[in-house]
Amino acid sequence: MAADASARVTDLTAEVHACLTFGEAEELFDLTAAFARDGLAAGLKVIWLSDGGPALAAELAKRGIPAESAMAAGQLTTARPEGRLLSGQAFCADAAVGWLAGQVESASREGFPGLRVAMDMRWALRPVAGVEELPRFEEGIAAALSGSTAAVLCQYDRDRFDPVTLASVAGAHTLSVAAATYHAGPLLRICRQYAPPGIRIAGELDWQSEEPLALALAEAVRFDGDVMVNMSALAFTDARCTRMIADAARAIASSHAVTLRCLPEVAPGFARLGLTGVPGIRLVAADGR
Amino acid sequence: MAGDRGHEAAGPGDQGTAPTGFTALDQEFDARSLYALRAAVAAHAAKAGLSRQAVYDVTAAAHELAANAVVHGAGQGRVRLWTDDRFLYCQVTDGGSANGSTPWPAEQGHGLWLVDQVASDLSIEHGSTGTTITARFALEPA
Repeated sequence: MAADASARVTDLTAEVHACLTFGEAEELFDLTAAFARDGLAAGLKVIWLSDGGPALAAELAKRGIPAESAMAAGQLTTARPEGRLLSGQAFCADAAVGWLAGQVESASREGFPGLRVAMDMRWALRPVAGVEELPRFEEGIAAALSGSTAAVLCQYDRDRFDPVTLASVAGAHTLSVAAATYHAGPLLRICRQYAPPGIRIAGELDWQSEEPLALALAEAVRFDGDVMVNMSALAFTDARCTRMIADAARAIASSHAVTLRCLPEVAPGFARLGLTGVPGIRLVAADGR
Repeated sequence: MAGDRGHEAAGPGDQGTAPTGFTALDQEFDARSLYALRAAVAAHAAKAGLSRQAVYDVTAAAHELAANAVVHGAGQGRVRLWTDDRFLYCQVTDGGSANGSTPWPAEQGHGLWLVDQVASDLSIEHGSTGTTITARFALEPA
């Protein structure tokens, strides 16, 4: 099936073989967390293969996923690709498809109603023998998923994989997944955040980007549930945009809790507009993500 | 970077005038170069020894004043930064509008409220060559 259909990560169902291209770690973690969260909530088994090791579970936990308890219960596994997709530093498409088919089977045997597998494909950027079999592996996934209740989310770093490789694997996926983006430019990115739900604003914001900001905030106000405005990577916001965000936070707080997460030097701008101590509004000033 | 002589040249009474020869930053701006302006102001404020918060506040103030000049004034202008031994001065001049229209409405807010909140004090001058605003920020004790 051609991969020209795009979907939100929260809309994925069984038998889907989706392709997620990401441009930054935050986007990868956010979308994977949503994929894992929805899978765990539905009682499915969830596996995430990535080079991150133990840090992966911590990234999920940071985004509200009960990673530790799910891992203890055998419902969630985070692991490196070695020993699963790879044998040492060698890749064989048939063996990798075989591993996946085995996971589908064992999840079913363990009584899970389905399986979700997220695969960070950055291992293929390393000098791995047999990496030329990657497109054949992607094609083989369809067979492994056929008739199952499993879904696979392949994750490609769009800045590091060359366009030829991305194009050669794209056709094997049934769907493409990306964060809904309101604005993407060299200085500013405004996009949906999926785990926890909200919007993410990164870079530098001033009145010249008022339009996409207004659009993103208007959507955030309409979210059904608690909302996070994640500004952890927002280095600057001018007075006008600070006020727009503050006004949206007050609007959201009338029906749901809203968290404004920002850098310590940005927080006083919101405090000056009276956002501290407002019921339903949590202003979190913190370094890092 | 200005030293003691900068202080002599620009005391509290004449903060509207940048002291010739002691200006740490003198940069023109328009709508497309506000990012570069912020980066330059932040770098110079950090070099002057301000805290992370104060660097942000000076940068935000410079941005608001410059944005006022872009949106409500001539569309471009000039930022000067200098220090003496007690203050960092951030001065924005809009260079006057080409068609001789009225100076930009500095009194009406447009981010000036924010500048007023973060700066130690503020002076505004409307002249034949445009509007000049100088915000002064206390340097923290070493």
